[in-house]
Amino acid sequence: MDKKRVLIVEDAAYMREMLAEMLEQEKDRYEVVDFAVNGKEAVEKYKELKPDLVTMDLAMEVMDGLQAIKVIKDYDPNALIIAITALGTPEQKNAALDAGAGEYLWKPFSIKNLFDALEKLQRKSEE
Amino acid sequence: MESTRTKRRDHRLFILSFASFACVILALYFASIGTTIVYTHLFYIPLILAGMWYKKKAVYLALLLGAAHIFMTLFFIYPFPLMETSERAVMFVVVSYAIGFVSDKWAKGEEKLKETKDYLDDIIKSSADAIVVVDTDGTVRSWNKAAEDYMGYAADEVIGTPNKKFFAEPEEAERIMAIVQREGELKNYRATVLNKDKKLVHISMSAALLKDKNGVPIGTVRVSRDVTKEVELEEKIKEERDNLNLILESMADGVYIVSKDYKVEFMNKVLSDVFGYHVGEVCYKVFHNRAEPCPRCKNSEVMKGKTVRWEWRSHRNDLTYDLFETPLGNIDGTISKLTIFRDISERKRIEDELREAEERYRVIFEYALTSLCVIEENGRISLANQEFALLSGYSREEIVGKKWADFIADEDRDRVQNYCAERKEGGAPACIPFNFVHRNGEIRHVNAWIEPIPGANRCIASLLDITELKRKEDELRETCERLTELDKMKRDFLNVAYHEMRSPLAPIVGYASLLESCKLPDKGRRYLYNIEQSAKELDMMINRMLQLATIDGKKIDLILEEFALHEVVQEVVKSVEPTAKKKNLVISMAVPEIKIQADKEKTAAIFSNLIFNAIKYTEEGGRIDVSAEEREEDIKACVADTGIGIPEEHLPKIFERFYMVDTSLTRKPGSLGLGLSIVKEYVKLHGGKVWATSEPGKGSNFFFIMPKRQR
Repeated sequence: MDKKRVLIVEDAAYMREMLAEMLEQEKDRYEVVDFAVNGKEAVEKYKELKPDLVTMDLAMEVMDGLQAIKVIKDYDPNALIIAITALGTPEQKNAALDAGAGEYLWKPFSIKNLFDALEKLQRKSEE
Repeated sequence: MESTRTKRRDHRLFILSFASFACVILALYFASIGTTIVYTHLFYIPLILAGMWYKKKAVYLALLLGAAHIFMTLFFIYPFPLMETSERAVMFVVVSYAIGFVSDKWAKGEEKLKETKDYLDDIIKSSADAIVVVDTDGTVRSWNKAAEDYMGYAADEVIGTPNKKFFAEPEEAERIMAIVQREGELKNYRATVLNKDKKLVHISMSAALLKDKNGVPIGTVRVSRDVTKEVELEEKIKEERDNLNLILESMADGVYIVSKDYKVEFMNKVLSDVFGYHVGEVCYKVFHNRAEPCPRCKNSEVMKGKTVRWEWRSHRNDLTYDLFETPLGNIDGTISKLTIFRDISERKRIEDELREAEERYRVIFEYALTSLCVIEENGRISLANQEFALLSGYSREEIVGKKWADFIADEDRDRVQNYCAERKEGGAPACIPFNFVHRNGEIRHVNAWIEPIPGANRCIASLLDITELKRKEDELRETCERLTELDKMKRDFLNVAYHEMRSPLAPIVGYASLLESCKLPDKGRRYLYNIEQSAKELDMMINRMLQLATIDGKKIDLILEEFALHEVVQEVVKSVEPTAKKKNLVISMAVPEIKIQADKEKTAAIFSNLIFNAIKYTEEGGRIDVSAEEREEDIKACVADTGIGIPEEHLPKIFERFYMVDTSLTRKPGSLGLGLSIVKEYVKLHGGKVWATSEPGKGSNFFFIMPKRQR
């Protein structure tokens, strides 16, 4: 099975690090290709690296996650993106899904939550 | 008459002249044959006649015959017996004078009698009244000119005929005769006779008995007058009186007629219905229960021809009458009093009521807490109450006559005046706010109702000073705005706080989960567990805060969907079971298969909060029963525990935010008193109701009702 290349988009350094650590736990399946600290960077890096999966924080400076999702989805409608946010309102969840996120992860989350979401997202794309 | 008398006199003169001449011839003859004894005695014959006829003038004949005697004696008898001859001549004069004197006296008496008779005749002839003499047999003996006039018969036609035929009823003649014979006279007797043209003539007759010198009745003299006109007039008057009575009878007002001596002559139905029928009785007795005429009686005034009007209150029936009294002439020339009784009790009562109502409204007007004024057609104020005086700053006397428009601020004047005009023409009534100008120029905000007074060309304005209200309203609005702003700030803050608090929570939870895969000593594992639990608590708490913040922000919309209630409850129970197990609690569930339409997430939150609450307050080894039943329109659910219970006085307050029964309990994990508050809000959002019953020491039951469908 190919390793899935993951782009981590997070403005907080400790979160980037934590996500990388978590993915490291399943290094046979996932590989972190790069980090982006805002939406703009995320779009650039996505175009450059063509990752299989993206974890996208929603609250970021310069360009927020929702916008970034839209741009990436416009660029690549098959992009698989997990939206991650601390603001767990149904409105926000719906907004993210509408923008094109395949899954939604609510902070705080455990390692299990992360992998569940990643797998669910891949299963959905395969169907 | 005169001519017959002259004729008779000529006749007498001829007889006298012839007698005198014959006597002289006879005397001459006897003298010539020498028989002188009787010859001149014959001269007494003409002298007696002359004395009878010519009275004292007979003396001249006596002197003439005496001279003739003296001459004859001187011529034929010798010696001439001067003494005897003179004696005889003187005798002639004396006798003739004596006879003349006597006859003169007698004739004078007769003349007088005749004159009287002529005079009477004249009276009878020229009398305007008919004078008729009828003898005891009923035969007409005398018939004067007046009788001719109105009966049409001439005296010649009727004298000597029976009088019976003149009467319309022949028996009348006998009746009159009988009365006159019995009474000796008859006065103003009314009879009807037929004239020559067979027309009826009404007469008034007076009659007297005629007797001869021995006192034996020989007939009657009747004086009668044609009263046809009077009778007709009387009938007309009577007819008019009848008509009047008819009118009086049919009047709506009571009417009576009272004579000069207070006798009731007439009463109409209206009056007799009220007072009883008293015609023929004395008015002051029957109407006033008095023994003598009432002191206020207007009878004497009316009898003088005056018409009076006055008010009378009847104590009999407690009614008030407007009396109208006027004189009424009768046929016989007397005057009666006609009185109209108009019942004005009702009018009086209405007047009293009106006065009372007016007084009542005056008091309302005076003491109303709104400013009131009356605006005349010319735009000037004619009346204002105390409150208006206070509002305007003028005294009430000063206000009268002031222009209404002067009290309206310039910018509002046209608007208010237009409203008045529209309202007068039937525009819909409305409250019109405007700026009122106080005496000192200060502006007062007022709400006004300006209403035209029905039936009059004026308006009444009712003004409520809302200056203070308006100021408070402004203040309130400001406060409200500030509060809204604050609320927004609060919500923004909460949102940020929520985000900012959760963000650091993410690495805690995340790294803790990462740590789980690391090799840790048992102690380390226990520590890790505690960290994870605390992080979960913190997470839950933050979530609840967000939920409540959103409720407060009023932006909660129910996301309605159809779902099976028992499935939701099952999931909730499943999710809390691990927590329950740690406290060794048994959770039982008795929820039938019910399909409801509601917000699924919120329904789940209601159950989970109630169950978490039950777990929190139930000691180890206790049990929690979750049940629900389907009813006609709604579902009724219950979460019962065997916990510490809630004292009764706290029951109504437990759904309040941050309310806690025992502050010492606050130290228990997860207890921020928000759970029940969320339950209450969510149930309320669904249009349901939540409550609790409890027995301290034994447990609590939390119930809620929620409609099966949202409208």
